[in-house]
Amino acid sequence: MRSPRIIALAVTALLLAAGCGAADDGSPTGAAPGRPDPRAEVDVRLLLEPTSLDITKVAGAALEQILLGNVYEGLVKYTDDGKIEPGLAALPEVSGDGLTYTFTLNRATFHDGSPVTAADVEDSFGKVIAADSVNPAKASFASVEKVEAKDDTTVVITLARRDTTFLYALAGRGGVVLKKGAANRLDDSENGTGPFRLQNWQRGSTITFVRDDAYWGQAKAKVAKVVFHYIADENTALNALRAGEIDLYTGTTGDSYAAVQGDPGFTVTTGNSNTIFVLAFNNSRGPLKDPRVRHALRRAVDKDGLVTTLGGDHLYAKAGSHTAPTDPWYEDLTSIDSYDPAAAKALLAQAGHAAGLDLELTVPNIYPSTMADYIAAQYKAVGVNLKVNTVEFGVWLDKVYTKADYDLSLVAHVEPLTILQYAQPGYYWRYDNPDVRKWTEEAISAGSDAERDTLLGQVARKISEDAAADWVVRSLSTSIARPGVTGFPKNDTNARLDLSGLTVTTPR
Amino acid sequence: MTPVFLVRRLGLLAAALFGVSLLIFVLLRLLPGDVATIVGGVQATPEQLAVLRERLGTDRPLPVQYAEWAGGVLTGDFGRSMLNGVSVTDELARKLVVTLPLTLTAAVLAVAIAVPLGAYAALRQRAPDGAAVSALGQLGVAVPTFWMGIMLSVVFAVQLRLLPAQGFPADGWAEPGRAAASLVLPVLTLALAQAAVLLRFVRSATLEVLQADFLRTARAKGLTTGAALLRHGLRNAAMPVVSVLGIQIASLIVGAVVVEQAFSLPGVGKMLLADVGNRDLVKVQGTVLLLSGLVLVLGTVIDIVHRLADPRLRDTP
Repeated sequence: MRSPRIIALAVTALLLAAGCGAADDGSPTGAAPGRPDPRAEVDVRLLLEPTSLDITKVAGAALEQILLGNVYEGLVKYTDDGKIEPGLAALPEVSGDGLTYTFTLNRATFHDGSPVTAADVEDSFGKVIAADSVNPAKASFASVEKVEAKDDTTVVITLARRDTTFLYALAGRGGVVLKKGAANRLDDSENGTGPFRLQNWQRGSTITFVRDDAYWGQAKAKVAKVVFHYIADENTALNALRAGEIDLYTGTTGDSYAAVQGDPGFTVTTGNSNTIFVLAFNNSRGPLKDPRVRHALRRAVDKDGLVTTLGGDHLYAKAGSHTAPTDPWYEDLTSIDSYDPAAAKALLAQAGHAAGLDLELTVPNIYPSTMADYIAAQYKAVGVNLKVNTVEFGVWLDKVYTKADYDLSLVAHVEPLTILQYAQPGYYWRYDNPDVRKWTEEAISAGSDAERDTLLGQVARKISEDAAADWVVRSLSTSIARPGVTGFPKNDTNARLDLSGLTVTTPR
Repeated sequence: MTPVFLVRRLGLLAAALFGVSLLIFVLLRLLPGDVATIVGGVQATPEQLAVLRERLGTDRPLPVQYAEWAGGVLTGDFGRSMLNGVSVTDELARKLVVTLPLTLTAAVLAVAIAVPLGAYAALRQRAPDGAAVSALGQLGVAVPTFWMGIMLSVVFAVQLRLLPAQGFPADGWAEPGRAAASLVLPVLTLALAQAAVLLRFVRSATLEVLQADFLRTARAKGLTTGAALLRHGLRNAAMPVVSVLGIQIASLIVGAVVVEQAFSLPGVGKMLLADVGNRDLVKVQGTVLLLSGLVLVLGTVIDIVHRLADPRLRDTP
C-alpha cells in the first residue's frame, strides 16, 4: 500500500506546483474593463523563429517581422496599408531631378539615451552600401551614391539615378538607423530607437519585448510587455490559444480558423498581404521554355477550388500575377489563364506533349503539403505527372534559389516589390523579357509615382500574359485575438508586426 | 584491474571520439544546402554570398576546416553558431536545463509505472485485469508520442486549465514552480511512451522467472507467489529489464525530440532539429560531439566500475 500513497503525494505536489505557476502567470488585474491597461502583458503566437537578431547581417522575414517598427526604426516607415510616413525624420525634400533627398531628423533617442544624429544615419547607411557589405538589403540601396551628414540633424542622400522605390527601401530593413560606434552584439542585443526594447530571447521558445518608457515618439507603447511564442506545430499552437495562453495568434490556417469560428471567445481579423505563393517555372529549362506548356500548367489548376481546399476566402485569395491589392499598381488579373483543363490539354498537345509530361516540383517542408498535393492532382488530370520533392528550406535556397536546378518550385514570397525581380534574368525563375526589363527600369527611374505605377501595372500584366510563373494563391493576413486585444496591424503580419498601437482593455 | 586494461580502454575511448568527430563532420558536409544562402537570404547577390562564404570559412578546403574545428575542440572550444555567434557549450548548457530534467524524470517515472504494472500483468496473466493491463501496454506502444502529447494537453491544459499547454518560462528556472509545471505534461507524455515499451519486457521477464525452479522452491518453502516474486524473482527478472533500459536511453533521446516539438520546449532536441535545418554546421557538430562524447565517457566509466565491482572480470586483460 505504500507506493500508491507516494504516487498520490507526487501528483498533489505537481498540481500544487502547477497551481503556483498559474497564479504567477495571471495577467495584471485592476484595470477597468473597456479602458486600456498600460500594465498589460500580451502573448503572441508566431510561426517562424529568427535565427539571429542581427538585422544588418542575417536574412529572414522572421527577424524583420518583430524588429522593424518595434525595436528599430528608419527615417521613414510603412503604415499598415503600405504607405510611407515620417519616422526618425520628417518626409524628405526631394530635388527636381529626383536625385537629392534632404532629411531633417526628429529629436529621437536610442535606447541608451543618446540622441540620434545625422552622423549615426551616415554611418548606418554607409555600412549598407559598403563594398564588402553583407547586409541582405544591400541590393535595395543600389541607387545610393552617397550619404552625408550636413549638420547634427540634416542628412543628404544623393542617388546615382532616380529611384521611385527608394523610400520603400528606407522603410525596410536596410534603412534601420543604429548608433555609430556601438559595440553591442546585434545577434542578441539591441540599441534601437523603437517603442519596445528587447528584454530576453529564450532561443527555441520565446522573445520578450518590454515598453521603452523613455521612447522619443509622441505615443509610447500601450502595453508593458509582449512575449512572442514561437510555436511551429499548429496543434500545439491551437491548444495554447484555447488554453488561454495566447492573446494574439498569427499564422492562421484552415484548421485553426475552423476551430475558433463562431466562438465568442475569439475575434478573427482578416487583412491583406504581399505573401504570394509562387509556383515558379524554370523558364530556361526543358519543356518549360515553351510558353504553351507554361500557359497549359496555369490553366490546369482550379484556383477557386484551391482556395476552398486551403480553408476558404478568409485565409486565401486568388492571385493573377505577382501583385497584391495593397500595391498602388494593382489590377485584378485572375482572368488571365483561367481554369480550363481542356484548353490546357490542347496546349500541351500543340507543344508536343500529348503523350504526357513528367515534371518535378521542389517545395520546402515549411508549408503544409496540401497545396503541392492539390496541384499534382490537377496536373494529373491534364496528363502531367508531377513528382513532388519536399526539401528543407536550406536545400531549397541552395538548389533552387542559388543554382536554379529545378523544374518547378513552390514558395511563399513575402517581400514587397518582388515584382522587380522579373526584370532580373539571373533570378531563380530565369525569366527574361525585354519589355519587362525596360518597363521595370523606367518604373524605377520614373518622374512620378503615377508614372511608376502605370509601368509596374504593365509589368504585372505582361508577366501574367507570358506565364512567367503561376501565382497560385495570395495568403491573407488572418489573425485571431481574444476580445479586448486591439490595435494590432491587420495587413501583412508575416512580414511586419508593428505592435506600437497594441492595446489591451480586458484582463484575461 | 591491470594498467594494460586501463590504457587500452582509454585508448579506445580516444579513438572512438576521433572517429565520431570525423563522421559527424563528413556527414554534415554531405547534406545539400549552404549556410551562406541562409544568412544572405533571397535578396543577396552572388557577390555577397561569396563574401559570406569567405567570412564563415566554408570556402576553404574541408581538411583545413576539420583541422581548425578539431584543434578548437582539443583546447575545449567547441565552436560558435555560424548564424548568431553564440557559443556551443553555453547554448547546450541552457538547453540541458530543460532536456535533462525532462528525460531523467521521464525515465524514473517510466520504471515506476512499468515495473509494478508489468509484474502485476504477469502474475495475473490469465485474469481479466492482468490481460487488461497488458492490452493497455500494447495500446501505449501503438499510440504516437506526438498525438499523446497533444491529447494530454487538450485535457489538462485546454479543458481543465491545470497545466500550461506549451512552452517554458522565458527566465528558465527562476521561478521553479512555473518551470516544473511546464514540464509535467511533457514528462508524462515521454514517460507513458517509455513505460509502455518497458512494461512488455517486465511482463515477459517476470513470466519467465515465475516458471524458474528457484521460484518453485521458494513457494515450496511456503511463500506466496507474490512474496516469492518480491524476494527472489524480481532481482532475477531485473537483468534483462536493465539491459532493455540501457537501449531505451536512445529512444528516450529520440522521444525528447518529439516531445520538445509537441510542447514547444526549448531543449536540446528542438535546438538540434532547428540547427540542422539552418545548416549551422559548426553548432550541430559541436553539439553532437559533446552529446556522443558524454555517452562514450559514461560507457567507459561504467566499464571500469564493472571491473572494479566484479571479481571475475578483474584479472582478465
